[in-house]
Amino acid sequence: LTIVDSSLFTALTGYIPSLAPEAILGVVACVLFLGGTWRPSRRLWGLVALLGLAGAGFTLWASSDWAPTMESLRDQIARQEERLATLVMPHERAAEETALEKNKLTLHTMTYASPIQHTRLAILIKVLALVGGVILVLFSWNDMPANQASDYHGCLLIMLAGVCLIGASNEMITLFLALEMVSIPTYIMLYLPRQDSAVQEAAMKYFLISVFSSALTLFGFSYLYGVAGTTNLPAMAEALAIGRATAPLPGVVLVALVMVVAGLGFRITAVPFHFYAPDVYQGTTTGMAALLAFIPKVAGFMALIRLLGFVPPILVPGVDSAPLASLAFTGQSMGEQAPVLLWIMAAVTMTLGNLLGLLQDNIKRMLAYSSVAHAGYMLIGLAVAPKLASGPGAPVGGVEAVLFYLMAYGAMTIGAFGVLNYLSTPERPVETIDELAGLGRSRPGLALVMVLFLFSLIGMPLTAGFAGKLMLFFGAMGAPFQEDSPALLEQARLYRILALIAVLNAAIGAWFYLRIAVYMYLREPIQTEWPARSTPGFLAIALCALVTLGAGVYPGPLVRAIQNAVPHVTDALPTTHRAAQHQVDGPAVARGD
Amino acid sequence: MPTLLLYLLILPLATAVLVAALGPARGDIIRRVSLISTLGSLALAAILAIDFASQGREDRAGPPGFAPSMVTRWDLLPMQGSPGEEGAAIQFYIGVDGLNIWLVVLTALLMVPCVLVSWTAIEERTHEFYAWLLALQTGMTGVFLAFDIVLFYVFFELTLVPLFFLIGIWGGPQRQYAARKFFIYTLAASLITLLGVLGVILVLFQERVTDKVTFSIPQLVRLVQDHSQKLPEDVQTARKRLADTLDEMAKAPPVGGVDSAADRRLRAASKDVDEAESKLAFWRKVQLWVFAALMCGFAVKVPLAPLHTWLPLAHVEAPTAGSVLLAGVLLKIGVYGFLRLCVPLAPDASLTFGAPLISVLAVLGIIYGSFCALAQDDIKKLVAYSSVAHLGFCMLGLFALNEAGLSGSLLQMINHGLSTGALFLLVGMLYERYHTRKMADYGGMASRLHLLGAAMVFITMTSVGLPGLNGFVGETLVLFGMYDFQGNEVNGRLLASLACFGVLLGAWYMLTMVRGVFFGEVKEPHHHGHGPRGDLNLREIFALAPIALVCVALGVYPKAFLDVARPDLQALAHMAGAARQRALVTVSDKSLVEKTPARADEKTAANRIGD
Repeated sequence: LTIVDSSLFTALTGYIPSLAPEAILGVVACVLFLGGTWRPSRRLWGLVALLGLAGAGFTLWASSDWAPTMESLRDQIARQEERLATLVMPHERAAEETALEKNKLTLHTMTYASPIQHTRLAILIKVLALVGGVILVLFSWNDMPANQASDYHGCLLIMLAGVCLIGASNEMITLFLALEMVSIPTYIMLYLPRQDSAVQEAAMKYFLISVFSSALTLFGFSYLYGVAGTTNLPAMAEALAIGRATAPLPGVVLVALVMVVAGLGFRITAVPFHFYAPDVYQGTTTGMAALLAFIPKVAGFMALIRLLGFVPPILVPGVDSAPLASLAFTGQSMGEQAPVLLWIMAAVTMTLGNLLGLLQDNIKRMLAYSSVAHAGYMLIGLAVAPKLASGPGAPVGGVEAVLFYLMAYGAMTIGAFGVLNYLSTPERPVETIDELAGLGRSRPGLALVMVLFLFSLIGMPLTAGFAGKLMLFFGAMGAPFQEDSPALLEQARLYRILALIAVLNAAIGAWFYLRIAVYMYLREPIQTEWPARSTPGFLAIALCALVTLGAGVYPGPLVRAIQNAVPHVTDALPTTHRAAQHQVDGPAVARGD
Repeated sequence: MPTLLLYLLILPLATAVLVAALGPARGDIIRRVSLISTLGSLALAAILAIDFASQGREDRAGPPGFAPSMVTRWDLLPMQGSPGEEGAAIQFYIGVDGLNIWLVVLTALLMVPCVLVSWTAIEERTHEFYAWLLALQTGMTGVFLAFDIVLFYVFFELTLVPLFFLIGIWGGPQRQYAARKFFIYTLAASLITLLGVLGVILVLFQERVTDKVTFSIPQLVRLVQDHSQKLPEDVQTARKRLADTLDEMAKAPPVGGVDSAADRRLRAASKDVDEAESKLAFWRKVQLWVFAALMCGFAVKVPLAPLHTWLPLAHVEAPTAGSVLLAGVLLKIGVYGFLRLCVPLAPDASLTFGAPLISVLAVLGIIYGSFCALAQDDIKKLVAYSSVAHLGFCMLGLFALNEAGLSGSLLQMINHGLSTGALFLLVGMLYERYHTRKMADYGGMASRLHLLGAAMVFITMTSVGLPGLNGFVGETLVLFGMYDFQGNEVNGRLLASLACFGVLLGAWYMLTMVRGVFFGEVKEPHHHGHGPRGDLNLREIFALAPIALVCVALGVYPKAFLDVARPDLQALAHMAGAARQRALVTVSDKSLVEKTPARADEKTAANRIGD
């Protein structure tokens, strides 16, 4: 009983040290809010925000000592079991067994009771959020009036803490709170930079739709809780899977699925919840537009991955395998309709985004539609993920591809906005495509970087956009043909059609991205005077360019890091099943004859 | 020696960066640096060719497939397994073999005149121009050298970017539209090609032909060959077993009911046949889709007849150097793609689906392109349409799928690169002098420009295929190959005769152009003040002379050229031959054995129960 108590205690409090980065972000945000009243300054509060981010990053880096990940606990259990097998002396064995039992119980309780999962995936999201945060702070260094800089940065840090929490949340309640931590500061930030009517309209529009979408998500959550009887995400997925294995799921689950996907679809700007994006991006400052194009998308996709059960929890090896893991953790915990829904959303989102992008003359609107289109590409990864997890699929899983694409997308989109921002002053923002005419001659370096981002958005090789698209297509083309079942065969065909839709879309999109390149290089300059150079803005662009190019030329390390971080459903399968799976995965030789 | 290939890729790129860094003011230095770089590349390519040609052929013996030499391989994006492990990774994998060696040399050779001809023509944004030109060289060389399928695609797309800027900035009046049309056309098509490539890789993996995803072209080709060979054999074995079982049962009628041992054996045997057949049918369907997807990208690039509309526009609008490279090298990438990927990765579909479709399109292109060329008034447009016709010959030879046709196709690629490249150079030189390309504006220019006229007549002769010059050998081989087409998918003799007619048309439009512009009544357009005056200057002679020399050399002694490429061409022809064998075998078998022995068997079983 003491073991149970102590492990329960560890499980329910053990995650607290792992929240140190979020805590630091929160504290620094408070400092910023209070400090702003004392002294308005851009540079001072920008530096404080950067320091806060650096501190959070350092804590994260150092946290492996005092906040071990659940994977490391699992590995420790595996090591202990190995050692146990070699021990013969009874007293040694007894001690080892007790320790082993305790660890197993702790891991089990952490998975099914703790509100936070400190996994490698959570760390990856935190790193992504913090790096993105640094770029965004640098980006909007000069964007704000001096007396509002501190508030802006404070809100940004809170949002980032929210993103970090989404990556780690293991509970619907935590997840919802984290999502709100991302949304609520946005409302304030949208009002901060300017007080003109365009900004106010954008803020109001965003506020109303965001609140509505939050309500939808919460509505879906309530149904899910009603059906599954728990708010714990792995437990919920398993409960639904067990239910589905015996009888068809009740219709309310489908309602919940639609509600949840609709609510989160707003954040990832999926069609038909995209329509606010162009107006809001155009209405607000470039810095805010970049932020809105990136942070809610990371939040939305992570929340979808967590909620629909795309990644399995970390479980005690062997014994504690999740029941029906291949039903529960392949993204269809809420029914087989989920991939279909995502398929449709992906196809419609990318097509509409690209087609409407063709019509735009305002670059911010164009980039807004581009952000819609890219959400569509990323949805491919989620739509395909169930197929890849259950069969001997492609070497790149859907979730991995989505995470890689999120990073690539972040770098190239923030970079493109960054170039616009670099050329704008608060009095005279660069808005329309005409204003960029002849940039290739007046500012050759900047134009070259912009071309890099544009080509990455198109998906040209040697850029992160290409590597990301390649991985997504790989997933869609990798859905296995299972000839024995006509329905599955049809599905495999549908995924290939989705890939075809995606490449045609990439070509359509290329037309409007190229238009910007045409204006920059092939037109005579209209405007030759550009604002003075600013170091932070330059740094932000340089960082984005570095990521875009680095992840494009040599994507290996980043892909490996992501593959390492994403847990696989095979880890969660029961041991016997896993052996069978392994046999199926084995080389051709055995099966050939 | 593998480093030689790396130098070939790095030298132009490094020079491009250097030239871009030099800035717009130092035009003269930029031109000289670019010239030195391209000459250096040419020297490297020459060393490479000599080195490769002197290698013993036994080095390259082995099972039919590609065996590149001077290989460099680095992992770029590991997909499975731990890093450093052989196999499942996208690699930087380059090498040379008989198929690409001459195309690499051609690229290096054509770059020199491109730099020379732009010497005075490009005055604006010089540093950018040469930077893009040299970057394009790296892209083109890379496409030919790549032996990793994704690397191939990467270089393939990277050739688009420099050419987009070359056409868009330094092109004619419609340059922006032409540049974007060219880019989007090729991009859309090549993305579909990418899907096809991924499709073949992943199907091989899912069908457990290989336990690791592979991107290496030689390995993929080997896997495809083995798998395509194995499936029909499986079908035959299963059918034979079924026939044996039936024979046995006929000899000794089984005793007992439905569940007797003999009956079970019969069921098992017919089930095996069904399974093997459905696998074969599936594989053939996969090949068909793979072929269609791969064809998309390459057919646009070649371009095959209905997909050629971007080409005249891009050619006419491009600056001279751009046109030369576009016609001389970039179109070859399309044909090369068919040669390197399409036929080896989908051999059965190439034969049954590709040969009838593409050879007809090719002949259509020859005739249609020739008539279009005949109708043009703009000399550059005429040369552009002549490209459509000439590339038709390349494709016709390729899809004859025999050694003669393939050699002719390869030779014709080089020929077209040389002669059309030279034609664009000459047209560019003429344009630089008089700023018009309308044939009607010219007349009797040979009496004004002796050397230019002589050069034009000579190049026209190579282009129309005068015996003793290169064009003749290539076209003849192509026609031989097509005439000799084995099999009934295509009426080879009819197509070859039609293509012969195309040769005639080619002579007609080229000679009409030469007569109109260079002979007859003298009509010299007004000289616009800038640009060179009078006959060819030394720089222009140096730009043309090497091409002319190579044309003669290839025409007089093509054997040296073809010998180097022969083993790989034979390997390709062998692959196609095996596909032909497979197609024949299964067709004849189907007529021998009833398709549904299982059902027949059930019927007899039911009868027996009724009794």
